[in-house]
Amino acid sequence: MRESADDPLIARVAEELRRPVAVRPGFDERVMAAVRRPVDHLPVRAWTWLREPRTLAVSPLGGLAMAAGLAALLVVGTWRPGSETGPSGALGDAPAGAAQAASADAASLVTFVLLEPRAGAVTLAGDFNGWDAARTPLRRESSGIWTIDVPLRPGRYRYAFVVDGRRFVADPAAPRAVGDDFGQPTSVVTVGGAARAAGGLL
Amino acid sequence: MTQGDSDATLVGRVLGGDVDAFGGLVARHRERGMRFAAAMLGDAADAEEALQDAFVRAYRSLRTCREPARFDAWFMRILVNRCRTRGAMRGRAARLFVSDESAVERAAARPGGDPDWREEIDRALARLDAMQREAFVLKHVEGLEYEEMARLTGARVPALKMRVKRACDRLRVLLREVDDARIR
Repeated sequence: MRESADDPLIARVAEELRRPVAVRPGFDERVMAAVRRPVDHLPVRAWTWLREPRTLAVSPLGGLAMAAGLAALLVVGTWRPGSETGPSGALGDAPAGAAQAASADAASLVTFVLLEPRAGAVTLAGDFNGWDAARTPLRRESSGIWTIDVPLRPGRYRYAFVVDGRRFVADPAAPRAVGDDFGQPTSVVTVGGAARAAGGLL
Repeated sequence: MTQGDSDATLVGRVLGGDVDAFGGLVARHRERGMRFAAAMLGDAADAEEALQDAFVRAYRSLRTCREPARFDAWFMRILVNRCRTRGAMRGRAARLFVSDESAVERAAARPGGDPDWREEIDRALARLDAMQREAFVLKHVEGLEYEEMARLTGARVPALKMRVKRACDRLRVLLREVDDARIR
């Protein structure tokens, strides 16, 4: 039951906000078209990308992390879930239904690392956890290094670190997302089932 | 047909490979979702994008819905997060600005509503702390119990009660004068 507001003003505010707000015509069709669109799985491109020699521009922070022997992204193994959610609660965005790939349950364990000595808290927000900055907190290690292992199914994921609950930080050692729809810096990791590798620096 | 099917049945059909059955869930939960997103974001176009995004994410992670009979609560959690993210990504200045175009669109979409009053409410909501706004909408617009709100948001009940109280206090300050003039 809806709790009635004692204050008539608050009741009038709530009443106004409860009025239906129409969506534009064709909303359902647009949702279903988006639902049917295949997830952007790019394991072959990721493998190709990893094998190609290239020069990479790395930010000072990323360079510092690498100098310390760190990789911002590491695929450290394959994680086979005993349940639907991984140890950190992260989820691969594999499509539901019968079309789901048979190998979709073979998740790779990806290590995310960020050097933020002055941060009080660092979390991870991305396609794999519904961009919920509260769901995937990193652990603080020595020297201000924050880290977490996240099981990810094959696929391409956009993500960002969230520092102190408000500042979005792209991964300094991973490719930046192109066509970011949030207007904030985001990075991309591609987890390929066969390649078992991510689009980060190893 | 999906109209008479329960949420649990529709979820089961989607997981069984019947993608069209997801359309039944979209049709059923669209209105509430849009109402919530519009209240949270104060902009119809933003709300629609957040809602579409939430539906797509719900579809892609549908097998993680452990209680298909409670698809509505599960979906609301996704939508709450989408609105949080979208709200956080926008500048505060942008949230404070309610465009004339948006107000006109909403007025057309809600026959019987008062566009000026709604715009004042949107402006006032935009000036609340995001967590207070969320708690207020979930409590007084969606009519959820605090325990349900806690499950949805991950916050504790006392904190949610405080957020709702502060939101109400702030709204009274921001809207009292407008409301008095309106009902006089």
